[in-house]
Amino acid sequence: MEQLIEQLKGQIIEALNFEEMTPADIDADAPLFGEGLGLDSIDALELIMLLDREYGIKLADPKAGKAIFRSVRTMAEYIQANRTK
Amino acid sequence: MRVSHDIEITPKSVVLDGKQIEVSETGERLLVELYRRYVGDYPKFYKMDTLSRLGFIAAEILLKIEPVEAVILGNHNASIKNDRDYLKTITDGNYYPSPALFVYTLPNIVTGEIAIRHHIQGETSFYVLDKQEDLEPIIHATLNNVPSPILGGWCECSDKDEFNAKLQIIWNN
Amino acid sequence: MIYCLGHNIISPLGEGSEQNYQAVVAGRSGLKLYTDRFADVEPFCASIFAEPQDFVDLCVRTAQTAIAEAGIDATAKDVVFILSTTKGDNLDLITPAKAIAKHFGNMNSPIVVSNACTSGVCAQITAKRLIESGLYRHAVVIGCDIQTRFIVSGFQSFKALSDEPCKPFSEDRRGLNLGEAAAAIVWSAEPHDGWVLEAGSIHNDANHISGPSRIGEGLYRCLRDVLQGVEREDIKLLGVHGTATLYNDAMEKIAIERAGLQDVPISALKPYFGHTMGAAGVLETIMCMQLLQHGIFIKMLSGFGGVNAAIRLRCE
Repeated sequence: MEQLIEQLKGQIIEALNFEEMTPADIDADAPLFGEGLGLDSIDALELIMLLDREYGIKLADPKAGKAIFRSVRTMAEYIQANRTK
Repeated sequence: MRVSHDIEITPKSVVLDGKQIEVSETGERLLVELYRRYVGDYPKFYKMDTLSRLGFIAAEILLKIEPVEAVILGNHNASIKNDRDYLKTITDGNYYPSPALFVYTLPNIVTGEIAIRHHIQGETSFYVLDKQEDLEPIIHATLNNVPSPILGGWCECSDKDEFNAKLQIIWNN
Repeated sequence: MIYCLGHNIISPLGEGSEQNYQAVVAGRSGLKLYTDRFADVEPFCASIFAEPQDFVDLCVRTAQTAIAEAGIDATAKDVVFILSTTKGDNLDLITPAKAIAKHFGNMNSPIVVSNACTSGVCAQITAKRLIESGLYRHAVVIGCDIQTRFIVSGFQSFKALSDEPCKPFSEDRRGLNLGEAAAAIVWSAEPHDGWVLEAGSIHNDANHISGPSRIGEGLYRCLRDVLQGVEREDIKLLGVHGTATLYNDAMEKIAIERAGLQDVPISALKPYFGHTMGAAGVLETIMCMQLLQHGIFIKMLSGFGGVNAAIRLRCE
């Protein structure tokens, strides 16, 4: 799980263009939206695409993303349970 | 029509009110250098496409001198550089359309980025034209209708290291 | 003010403004479900021409009819061509604009207005300003977009498309439908009986590049501007954007209420034509002219980049 979290942090940094950030700067349990990383609605859509591209998970309902994208850890847990690649 | 300040950014140089600004980088990296020097605390910059980065940073330097009421820009190639980047995300056999790239497939997004940064709730317009001088009559006609000064000019990007911005602060009198 | 000398619509519902009007009055819709129109793209509902169209040819055909009705000489030096489009001819915007002007023998540099979904209204505002500033006597405003894999995939990545006919301003609205059309209006300094364009306004929300302001700020400011000099009770129709996305319609409702226009009948045309993007502002203005026949109406639009636009038209 910890390995997946680290990998995911790198993928998030790349997908969302956090140019001046390293995986160490992201707290796995901090909120991704609002406080914390301060992501917005386009970032959320980009994360949905990341799940599809990297892990073969198709999220049809963007509203379902709310719980999944709470933190990097909740995202990693969802990936572990649902990944197809 | 009266121009109070102007800036020109090319892949190799930055000229503000006729004076060359010392820079060490070129091309796309020049825009990042300018961001680090003049802004530094607006990470949304890194999410922008090259056209938006160009217009954003040119506006940033100019609007520090004087605020404006509207943003009227033009170019020849619309959002072609970013359009091509988006196309790469929908290739056959590797179809993962990127919303973060798709949102920049309109040239007027740069005017929106400038408006957000500087809280400009006046007019923002983008025109695609054959040549730079075609923008002049449009700006002239706009100035008869919106409060001045406005930020107006050419904002062109055909590739990541091929761009040219010539922005001015323009008054009606 | 500027005067309407002629107009035309070509859409999947028919060729000619009158035919399109009759189709809408008869309750016909151009919307259909497409399951394998473009590779990889998920099923989507849209209003698309039965035969693939050439962008320039489509613009030329629709402009031809409007120019003939207007009776102007399109080759004259005091005529300008203004094209409203978002993606033009396969991502190229200025080359097709030049080809269209050249087809009509017009030597002036054409203008492409690229202000996202508001382009069609902004193009008419640009026409008004150029004419009133004395730079041109007539403006041929053409709005057109053709649906491509590029556009549909992008809107799907935004989760903005519905696979059912859209339901603007309904509680159970589920997203927008895209559409294809080419519409044209000839605006002129020459006084003429019929519709006049009296006022126009463009404002940015300065809030977000893809989502509308929650308080409809930019759109409210546009409405406030175009309401200057008229009584609210004289506004007979409000041509809304009505994309049927959750956020657009909610924001529009707030802007309409803030402007005190909540009792004015609205017209939302996307269930018939889909969201025709660059054509929307021109096509929907022409449809409002026909739906109202005389009186005063406002046509409004909002789009990516946080931009909003509104125009006020009158016919005595």
